[in-house]
Amino acid sequence: MAILVRLDDKLHERRMTLTELAARVDITVANLSILKTGKAKAIRFSTLEAICVALDCQPGDLLLYQHDDTHPNP
Amino acid sequence: MTPASTQALGLARPVIQGLIILNGLYTLVISGLLVWSFFIDGWPERPLGFDMVNAHPLLGQGLRAIVMIGIAGALIVHFVLRHLRAIVDTVRVGDPFNLENARRLDRIAWGVVALELLRVAVAAIAAVVWEAGRIEAFSFAPWLAVLLLFVLSGVFAQGARMREDLEGTV
Repeated sequence: MAILVRLDDKLHERRMTLTELAARVDITVANLSILKTGKAKAIRFSTLEAICVALDCQPGDLLLYQHDDTHPNP
Repeated sequence: MTPASTQALGLARPVIQGLIILNGLYTLVISGLLVWSFFIDGWPERPLGFDMVNAHPLLGQGLRAIVMIGIAGALIVHFVLRHLRAIVDTVRVGDPFNLENARRLDRIAWGVVALELLRVAVAAIAAVVWEAGRIEAFSFAPWLAVLLLFVLSGVFAQGARMREDLEGTV
């Protein structure tokens, strides 16, 4: 996938576990784990906002676009 | 779900199951009738009471062809009922919006098309060997059902895609 989720890096930076983040943003650990491992197909703005509030960061700190040769750009 | 649809759903499986059994019995009976017609003396005038003096010379063969079409129709009905039962089962377990159900509805629609074409064939044979207009070749309702089934198939396919999108959303 061309969009990378850097949740792990931010959690490490903030010395926070996935379980703690789950409790703060009111999302299950299972769903956050899907997001963290890059298996999610989409993210709601409300989820992104809640994570940004909890980790005190910007959406751009969490998501990174990486050029993927298997998916040529138009 | 509305109370009416809940009741209909509860009733649907036993009704479909019963129809599958009845259709199986019907297939056995008309298959037996077809085989029997080859062994009985004076087919078809004696068992069916036709006046062969005024009847078409191919009446016997024509009636056998109609019975054969009837057997083919029963096999299609079996195919349709089995698909319908599978769809009802997915509704009962709470997972109706999947692509397999869309494909099932598509196949049911084609099954109904095939049944209507068989009806045209039966009417054509009956018109030649028996009496024109005795069996209706066209009925509006089944073709409307075909249209509705194809539309429903599209709705299910779209629903399945939307659900798939939602499943990967965090």
